[in-house]
Amino acid sequence: MSRPPLKNSAAFSPKPDFSLTILSETQLLKMVVELTRHIATLFQFPLNEAQKLSLAIDEAVTNVIKHSYNSEPGGEIRIDYFLAAAGMRICIHYRGLAPDISVEEVNIGRMIKKKKKGGLGVKLMKTIMDSVTYTTVDGENCCEMIKWRTAK
Amino acid sequence: MKSFQIRSKMINGVAVLYLKGHLDAHQVARFEKELVRMIKENNFNILINGQDLNYITSAGMGIIMGYIDEVREKGGDIKLCSLSERVHETFDLVGFTEIYDFIVNEQAALEKFSSVLPKT
Repeated sequence: MSRPPLKNSAAFSPKPDFSLTILSETQLLKMVVELTRHIATLFQFPLNEAQKLSLAIDEAVTNVIKHSYNSEPGGEIRIDYFLAAAGMRICIHYRGLAPDISVEEVNIGRMIKKKKKGGLGVKLMKTIMDSVTYTTVDGENCCEMIKWRTAK
Repeated sequence: MKSFQIRSKMINGVAVLYLKGHLDAHQVARFEKELVRMIKENNFNILINGQDLNYITSAGMGIIMGYIDEVREKGGDIKLCSLSERVHETFDLVGFTEIYDFIVNEQAALEKFSSVLPKT
């Protein structure tokens, strides 16, 4: 009997299967979304899952451009894709300001009263992905997101 | 061709915004500009028709969130109609479907507005 695939970081190779470096420009977001969806579908994620996964990456990269690079063009963002039988791991590497990793619960009613326009992206990322982790080492920030494949 | 297009028209006292294509952080300023124009012209009954919208991120949803309180304070509302299953699911992921009025088609949405609009 074959063993089920590992569902921890050991499931993934230390070297990315695919890597993309872009500049911090929002006009490139659509390309990242389409590429991520393409990779996920090639890797046998159902289309609906692949679309949601690419939305989570869009949100993460948008946050980097807006908050870490303050919407200034020219900042580098490297997106590493790790593929395994158990799922997909995506690491977004960037410099600039460290991310706000506050764990405050998103309360839509309160945000409406405060007339807030932002703050939904991280909720979307956390809802779609199985794991979202931010780290900063020696000035390099990393947003790691994992989506495990659901059993058929 | 632009990946996101927006147009608007007035129907029976309701400002209808038609969104088409891919609405992300790169395009969101155009959506906000049009919504703000509607509000500044004292149109507080606003319907967002997403029949041709195939993608939305939190940037677009955030604009709706940011102005709905002002619109409701003025006695109006922002409703949404004709969304594809995919776009509706995106709104659902952040819990918007519990707070906003999502209506299946434009006709039904306009009827819903007309039930609260003053008769002329």
